Amino acid sequence: MLEVIQLRKRYDRNDAQAFAVREVSFSVQSGEFFTLLGPSGCGKTTTLRSIAGLEMPDEGEIRIAGETVFSSAGGVAVPVNRRDIAMVFQSYAIWPHMTVGENVSFPLEALGVPSAEAARRVARALEMVGLAAFRDRPAPMLSGGQQQRVALARAFVKEARVLLLDEPLSNLDAKLREQMRVELRDLQRRVGTTTIYVTHDQEEAMSLSDRVAVMNDGRVVEVAAPRALYLRPRTRFAAQFVGQADLLDCTVVEMRDESCVVDTPLGRLRASASTPAGMGATASGEGATQASGAGAASLLIRPEHIELHANAQSAPNEVRGVIERVLFSGRIVEYVVKAGDQRVRVQGTSRAMFETGQSVVMELPPEHCVVVSA
Amino acid sequence: MRLVQRTATLTSSARFSGWGTRLTATAVALLLIYLVVVPLVLLGISSVRPTGFPLEPGFTLGNFSKVFLAGDFGALLWTTVVFALGSTVLAMVLGTGLAWLVERTDLPGRGVFRVLVILPMATPPVLLAIGWAMLLSPRTGFFNLLLRDGLGLGTAPFNVYSVPGMIFVEALALVPTAFLFLSPAFRNMDPSLEEAALASGASNWRLIRKVLLPLLWPALAACAVFLLIVCFVVFDIPGTLGMPARIYVLSTRIFYLTADSPTGVPLYGQVSALGTFFLLILAVLGYAYFRFTRESQRYRTISGKGFRLRQSPLGAWRWPAFGAVTLYFLLAVVAPLAILTWASFMPYQTRPNLASLSLATLDNHLDFLRNARLMTASLNSLTVAIVSATAVALLSLVVSWLVVRQRPRGATLIDNLAFTPIAIPGVMLGVAVVYVYLSLDQMFPVYGTIWILVIAYVTHYLSFGSRLANGVMVQIHPELEEAARASGAGGFRVLARITAPLVWPAVAAIWIWVLAHAMRELSTALMLSSRNNTVLPTLLWDYWTGGEPTRAATVGVWLVFALACILALWHVLSTRSASRDA
Repeated sequence: MLEVIQLRKRYDRNDAQAFAVREVSFSVQSGEFFTLLGPSGCGKTTTLRSIAGLEMPDEGEIRIAGETVFSSAGGVAVPVNRRDIAMVFQSYAIWPHMTVGENVSFPLEALGVPSAEAARRVARALEMVGLAAFRDRPAPMLSGGQQQRVALARAFVKEARVLLLDEPLSNLDAKLREQMRVELRDLQRRVGTTTIYVTHDQEEAMSLSDRVAVMNDGRVVEVAAPRALYLRPRTRFAAQFVGQADLLDCTVVEMRDESCVVDTPLGRLRASASTPAGMGATASGEGATQASGAGAASLLIRPEHIELHANAQSAPNEVRGVIERVLFSGRIVEYVVKAGDQRVRVQGTSRAMFETGQSVVMELPPEHCVVVSA
Repeated sequence: MRLVQRTATLTSSARFSGWGTRLTATAVALLLIYLVVVPLVLLGISSVRPTGFPLEPGFTLGNFSKVFLAGDFGALLWTTVVFALGSTVLAMVLGTGLAWLVERTDLPGRGVFRVLVILPMATPPVLLAIGWAMLLSPRTGFFNLLLRDGLGLGTAPFNVYSVPGMIFVEALALVPTAFLFLSPAFRNMDPSLEEAALASGASNWRLIRKVLLPLLWPALAACAVFLLIVCFVVFDIPGTLGMPARIYVLSTRIFYLTADSPTGVPLYGQVSALGTFFLLILAVLGYAYFRFTRESQRYRTISGKGFRLRQSPLGAWRWPAFGAVTLYFLLAVVAPLAILTWASFMPYQTRPNLASLSLATLDNHLDFLRNARLMTASLNSLTVAIVSATAVALLSLVVSWLVVRQRPRGATLIDNLAFTPIAIPGVMLGVAVVYVYLSLDQMFPVYGTIWILVIAYVTHYLSFGSRLANGVMVQIHPELEEAARASGAGGFRVLARITAPLVWPAVAAIWIWVLAHAMRELSTALMLSSRNNTVLPTLLWDYWTGGEPTRAATVGVWLVFALACILALWHVLSTRSASRDA
């Protein structure tokens, strides 16, 4: 449905090295919810705006539904208003001089849809976002959440092949954001539009997407389904950007089919080596290096995957340590465990509690010890 | 990184802009060069021409030597400096006091005074001067006669046709400007700074000297330099009150050399030499103003968080302070307008009392409505004002669209060119425009018509219009236009349905502001006036200097009436757009 090939964009025409986006490639399937995730300034918004046609990339190619809308080699640059896209902006961009209904019908007016059909489609779009009763209300007299819904209705009403969303939830307060996240996901599933979503919020990316592309410094670092990305990241950057992570320096000493042996500051540990079945396909993004080769790497273990025991259990990967600090916050309890010179964060629940100074055994399940590229 | 992304957007939109934008930018830049740079260059060239005409041959420094080595040049400069400094100091003292009383004390009726302060700004300065001439002229001034008879004096105590008289009236006219400059500084000062000083045991005097003055200093300095610039270029008040007593400042001397020169022929060469010198002073003052405003940015005392203002209780001084503020409004608005209104109903200048009330007549007003010359002048005024306002509003919109949105190559040049005319005095702009159209008379025969006024006004008021339009354009989020494009709308539909309706309130505000100012503008109109392009202010001036004060007063009353209508309209429009923003 959407293909982005070798996209490059300089942000300073006079500096050959000042790239906002460098060599970004990915393709999105029909009906897929695809998220560009990364810190601010990583190039995700520039990529999205290039797809929309609001930015002119320097090099590369973009195809929407088989039609080439941009190609630096072919000299093609279809203007925004003739691309088969709809977009929701970070500021919502609700036109303040129009009513809700006028805002939503504007795309149909621009496309020259006959008014009877336009009225029907506007009514349906407003119904979809739960604003049917607000059609004649002036747009400025809406709350933030309602403006967000109008922006969504205005995007859906166009029935474009590709829907582009630029951090649409970032201006809402925390509670509303969570609610809108669920609604957005349901809507997208129902309508089935191919969706490209830009965010810096990893929770948003995880809970909404079919696949997530992690971006950093103008590059796609890694592309994977949310679960694979969290449990089996391939890069240090992705491992740390999605969720809490302690990364230990490690050296791979032995490779087997599904597991490997690594040396770490915590001693010799068994770790998993490749993607286990049922985790979904993991496609390596441009610039992602293979982590499973021997040599310098990092070992990822998430704090909630470590189990604490008072005594040894004769399970694999047991490490002795002393509880150095306890942070009790009700539902979860966070520990810092000192093992040798290494400090490790561990997350437990209130079901089993340990005290400061207590000797414990950390169990690091091998399937949750993941070797990532340094 | 946000900044980086913004730059990325800008460069890309510049690349997107294509031929349409580049062509528009080139056209606007050429137009601005023609309107702003060409007149100033011709002014410079003319100052070294023996005949004073820029296109005639020859080179001389004689104009400079005639101007600068003339016996009274020192006196001229001295009068200008005394007038400018005196008016500035007096306006600063009164304006600071007013701002402090209204913003930081429990003065009764503070809210009303804050609104009333625009009234003196709505009164054309020339009318204020004429009003005061009627009140304080040594022979017939109403106040003078009251004081002379009341106190049994032999002669009138005041003479308004003097440097102190000019300073007094100019300061009255400038107090609102000072107030508008300083009241935000008083309002935004974080009171915890004062409370901290008081808590450290500082006395009130120490507080003022060590905390308040240093904090207010940048705002005070910027305001003072701005007023100084205004006083250096102002023509209306020194023209009305100084020239009859042969007291000249730079701007009135330029007018004198053009209109009333001893030889009867305009001494354009000397005018240009004086003008070039004038520009030099203004460049220095402009630079100082730029420095001080930058400084006040650095010192900004707005803290963002809400705070309650510390209001000093005036105690026993509450009502005396109220009286003083009321007195200011009486002197700056009520008294001069009242005497003008009185005069407009009189067959000749009379002393306002019951006895002369029997002379009251509507003749002047009926004459105003019947007299063909007055009708022509009104029509000219209206035409010039409407055409100038429309041209400035549209041109400002295009300029700010280029400067803020499209940013093609040369955007900064366009921005600066549009702003430059703010520092060119009306008298000088008038002279410079005369040079252009005397030289180009074959091509553009506009000299002596109302269109030469339109050209000068558009040049002058574009500086204000483009500032205001820039401010609004910056506030309109670019995503509003991008959303329209992403909705499938082409360039023209985006402009017609989204951009134009959003900037409409700003365009209306610019239109009305220019309309009001073009209606009352005197100095440029005088320099460009001829028999066929008389406007209301020049007519008023002719009547006044020609010894027909009651007719002048009638024109003035109608002018104030028209301005009041326009300002009321502006008020309605601006409150409506403000309520929509909220």
